[in-house]
Amino acid sequence: MTLTLTRERGATTPTTPARPRRRTRGRQLGVYAALIVAGVATMLPFVWMLLGSIKPAGEILADPGGWLPHSPTLDNYRQWFGALRIGTYFRNSVIVAVVTVLGNLLFCSMVGYALAKLEFAGKRILFALVLITLMVPGVVTFVPLFVVVAKLHLINTYAGLILPFLTSPLGVFLMRQFMRSIPDSLLEAARIDGAGEVRIFARIVLPLSGPPLATLGILTFLASWNNFLWPLVVAQNQDRYTLPVALSLYSTGEQATDYGLLLAGSVLVITPIVVAFVALQRWFVQGVATVGLK
Amino acid sequence: MSRIRFGLIVLLSSVLCVTACGRSASNNETAPGGAIGAGPATGTITIWAQGAEAEQLPTILKEFQAANPDVKVNVTPIPWPAAHNKYQTAIAGGTTPDIGQLGTTWMGEFGAANALAPVPSDLNAGAFYPGSVKSTQLRGGTYGIPWYVDTPVLYYRTDLAAKAGYRGPPATWADFKAMAKALQAKAGAKFGVGLAPKDFQGFLPFAWSNGASLTSSDGTKWTLDDPAMVEAARYYQSFFAEGIADRTPSTDPGAHEAAFVNGSVPMFLGGPFEVGELNKAGGAGFAGKYATAVLPRGKSATSFVGGSNLVVFKKSANSAAAWKLIRFLSRPQTQVAWYSATGDLPSVQAAWTDPTLSVDPKLAVFGRQLQDVNAPPATAEWTQVQSAGDAQMERLTVSGNDPAQAMKTLQANAASIGTGAR
Amino acid sequence: MTALGPAAARRRQSYVAWLFALPFVAVFGLFMLVPLLSSVLMSFTDFRSSDVATPWAVDFVGVEQYARLFADPVFRRALANTAYFVLLGIPLTMAVALLLAMALNTGITRFRAAFRVGFYTPVVTSVVAVAVVWRFILQPDGLLNRALSGLGITGPDWLHSTTWAMPSLIAMAAWRNMGTLMIIFLAGLQAVPAEVGEAATADGATAWQRFRHITLPLLRPTLLLGAVLISVGYLQFFEEPFVMTQGGPLDSTLSVTYFTYNQFGFGRYGIAAAASYVVFAAIAVVSLLQFRLLRAKE
Repeated sequence: MTLTLTRERGATTPTTPARPRRRTRGRQLGVYAALIVAGVATMLPFVWMLLGSIKPAGEILADPGGWLPHSPTLDNYRQWFGALRIGTYFRNSVIVAVVTVLGNLLFCSMVGYALAKLEFAGKRILFALVLITLMVPGVVTFVPLFVVVAKLHLINTYAGLILPFLTSPLGVFLMRQFMRSIPDSLLEAARIDGAGEVRIFARIVLPLSGPPLATLGILTFLASWNNFLWPLVVAQNQDRYTLPVALSLYSTGEQATDYGLLLAGSVLVITPIVVAFVALQRWFVQGVATVGLK
Repeated sequence: MSRIRFGLIVLLSSVLCVTACGRSASNNETAPGGAIGAGPATGTITIWAQGAEAEQLPTILKEFQAANPDVKVNVTPIPWPAAHNKYQTAIAGGTTPDIGQLGTTWMGEFGAANALAPVPSDLNAGAFYPGSVKSTQLRGGTYGIPWYVDTPVLYYRTDLAAKAGYRGPPATWADFKAMAKALQAKAGAKFGVGLAPKDFQGFLPFAWSNGASLTSSDGTKWTLDDPAMVEAARYYQSFFAEGIADRTPSTDPGAHEAAFVNGSVPMFLGGPFEVGELNKAGGAGFAGKYATAVLPRGKSATSFVGGSNLVVFKKSANSAAAWKLIRFLSRPQTQVAWYSATGDLPSVQAAWTDPTLSVDPKLAVFGRQLQDVNAPPATAEWTQVQSAGDAQMERLTVSGNDPAQAMKTLQANAASIGTGAR
Repeated sequence: MTALGPAAARRRQSYVAWLFALPFVAVFGLFMLVPLLSSVLMSFTDFRSSDVATPWAVDFVGVEQYARLFADPVFRRALANTAYFVLLGIPLTMAVALLLAMALNTGITRFRAAFRVGFYTPVVTSVVAVAVVWRFILQPDGLLNRALSGLGITGPDWLHSTTWAMPSLIAMAAWRNMGTLMIIFLAGLQAVPAEVGEAATADGATAWQRFRHITLPLLRPTLLLGAVLISVGYLQFFEEPFVMTQGGPLDSTLSVTYFTYNQFGFGRYGIAAAASYVVFAAIAVVSLLQFRLLRAKE
C-alpha cells in the first residue's frame, strides 16, 4: 500500500512574501548568540568531566576546582581497558540495553496503538493501571520485585536483568499520546481497503511514529545503560556486572574515591549514549512529518 | 466487570494480610555455634567483599587454597556505595553467599533479621580488640569476626606547628584549642582545625573522652543528655563559635586533603586511609611535613572504632568450610600480610607486635589509639539516633543553639526511637 | 476478505487489541503489579528490614501508619520542600525547554544537531562533575557571586542559606532536565505543519499570535506528556539535595524521597513504603490536574 503523505521537511512551496533580509538576519544572529552563550554555560560540567578524566588522581585531590590538567595522562583510560577488563562489562551493558530498547520499541508501540486507536474490553482499566504504575516511585517496589525475580530463579541471568524493564509504563504513555494524533481516516481507509490490523500497524502506524519512537529509544537506552542498582543486586558475580556497577566498584572505596578513574569511567559510560543520541536524533529530524488528510 | 473483580482481589489480599500478619513473642535466644574442628575445608565457598578488599582476597587466599586443596573459593566483588542494598535484597530473596563483609554499623540490622550464623565455640574472640568485638555481639551471642579496623586519629602539619611554637602534638583538650588558635595566629592557617559540623559520629570521640556514655550500662536506655555529654558538646561547639573551625567546609572531592596540603586547615581527624590520600595530594616529600597523633586527652583519649566484620550467613550450605576460611584470615600472620596488601589495620592484637607494623611511626599511633576505642551499640536503632544526632549537631555548630537544649531534644528523640533491647 | 458485521468486527478488533497488548500485560503484571500490591500492603504494617525473611510476622498497623507519618515534623517539612520545588521547578523547566526547542526548530537553520547535543549534555554528565561545577558556581566566592559583585550586589552563601539553598537546587534541576524535555518538545514540534504557520504569517499574524493560537494548541498532547514526565520526576527529586546539600541546611532541602531513602536506610520499610505512597498520591493529583488543564480539545 503506498501512501504519498510523507514529505521532506523544508520542501514547502514558498507562500510567504519576501521579508526584509536585514531584520531576519539580525534576529537570527541574536538567537545564535544567545544559544551559544547558553550552550557553553550548559556544557561546563561536561567539559570539566572530560578534563578531569585525563588528570592523575592526586591532582584532583590537590585542586578540586581546577580546570586544565597540569600533567595530562591517559593512565585512567589505560586502567579501564587493561586490568579492569572493561570488555565484559561493556558487553553486558550492550546486550541488556539493546534488547531492552528493542523490546520497548516493539511492545510499547503495540500496546500504545491498541490504547490509542482500538476498542477493547478493559481498555480503560489497562490505561489506568499504566498511569498508576507510572506514578509509583520505583524505590518502593524494588525489594518485592527482587523477591519475585529470585523466586523465578532468574537471579544472575540476562533474563533477570532485562525482563522487568522490557516494557515500561512511560513508553506506553508516550506512544499512546503520539499515536492519538494519527488521523482515524487514514486507518479507516486502510481497513476499507481490506488491510488487517497487523498490516495497518506495521505499514502505516509505525512509519508515522518515527519521532516518538526515536525519543522512546533514546530515553530507554539512557535509563537502561545507566541502571546501577538493579544489575548490582541481580548479578551474583562479576560476569554479569554492567558498566555502572563496574564504575562504582573500581573507583569508590570505603572512604577514598579515585576521582580520575571515576571520571574516565564516566566518560566511557556516556560515550555510547551520546553516539546513540546523535544517531537517533538525525533520524527523527530527516524525512518524516505527518500531514493531515484533506 | 473487571473493575469489580479487581476490587475484590485487593480486598481479599488486605483481609489475608490483616489476619495473617502478626508478630509472635519470638524467642530471640541464641545457641552458640558448634565447633569447627580441625581438618581441611572442602566444597565451594562464595565470599562477597567490597572494593579493594575483594581485589586482594584472591592473592591472600592462595595459601589457604594450598593448605586445603579440595576447596574452591569464589570471590565476588561488590561496590561499597550500594553494598548495604545488596545484602538487604539478598537476605530478602534468600540469595546470600556463604561469607559476607559487613560494616560494623550494619551488624545490628542484619543480626535482627536473623540472617547470621553464630560464631563457633572454638574460634577465639579474645584475640581481637575489645572495642571491635563489641560490634559483633548481638542478642547475647557473637555473630561475626572483626576483620580489620579503622579509627580516627589526629593529623597535624609538623612544619606549621613548629612555626606556631609547638614541637609535638597537643596532649590535652586545652592544648588542642590553644594549638589550633596559634596555628591561625602565627602559621597563616585560615582555620585551626577541620571538624565536621553536622556529623554526630565525628563528635563521639569527644563525648567518650569526657567520660560520657551513649546508653545505660545494661544498654536499655539512651543517656544522651547527661552532663558529661553536654560538656563535651559545649567544648565542640566552642571551636565553631570562636572561629577555629569552619562552619561550612567544602564537600568537594578531596577538599580537606587539599586544605591540609595548602596549609589553610592544618589539623583534622581522620582514619588510616588518609595517609595514602595525603601523600598522593601532597606529592613527593610531603610525607615528612605531617604526623599523626593519638587524640588529645579530656578525661581519656577515646576514639571511635569502625571497620569490617566477616560473617557467615545462616543459609550457607558450607558453613564449616566458611568458618575455616575466616579462621585463616584471623591468624596474626595473615593479618600482617593483609595489612601489607591493603593498608587495612589488623583487628587481631597479636599482629601489631610484628615489625612491619611497629616500625612506621605514623602507623604505631593507630596501634596506640586502638587501646582506647569505643563503638556505638550495634543495633538498627543506632542509625536513626545517629541521624537525629546529626541534625542536633548542625543546630549546635551552625546555628549556635544551647548545647544543653540540643542534647535534651536529642535524648527525647532517641527515647522515642528506643534502644531495640526487646 | 468477507465483510464482517459490526459486532463481529468489534470482537475481532478487541481480540487483536489484546494480542497487541499481551506481551506488555504479561511483563507488567508479573514485574510491576505484583511488587506494587505487596508494597502497598507493606505500607500498612510496621515492616522492618529485619522482617524480610519472615514477611508475615509483622504487625498490621493500618491507617495509623499514615497518621504517624504526618505527625512527624521532619516529614511535613519534606512535604513542604517538595511542594515548593515542584511549583517553581515545573513551569521553569518547561518554559526553558520549550524556548530551546522552538529556537532550535525554527529560530536557526544551521548547526541544529550540534546545539541539540550540547543542550542534552547535562542529562548525561556524571553527577560528580555536575556537583563540582555547580558548587564552584555557587560558592560564596564562586562564579555567580563574582558576576553579581560586578553589578554591585553581594550574593549570599547560596548553598548554606536556608532561604537560597532551595532556589539554587531548582535552578540546577531545571538545567539538568531541560535536555530531556527539549527532545520531547522537538518531537512534538515536528508534527506541527509548517504551512499553517506560514499561512498565518501571510495573513499578518505576529510571532506571538502564531505561537499562542497555532503552535500551542497543536502542542497540547506533547506539553501534557512533558508536564507529566517532569512532575513525576520532580515530585521524587532526590539527587540534587543528596549530592549538594545533604538535605540541609537545617532540613530546608530535604525532599520526601530523601526522607524515604533515609527510612529505608534505617530499615523501616513500612514507613518508607507509606511515604512513597504519599508521593504517589501527590503525583496522581498533580497529573490529574495537568490532564484537565492540558487535555487536547477533541
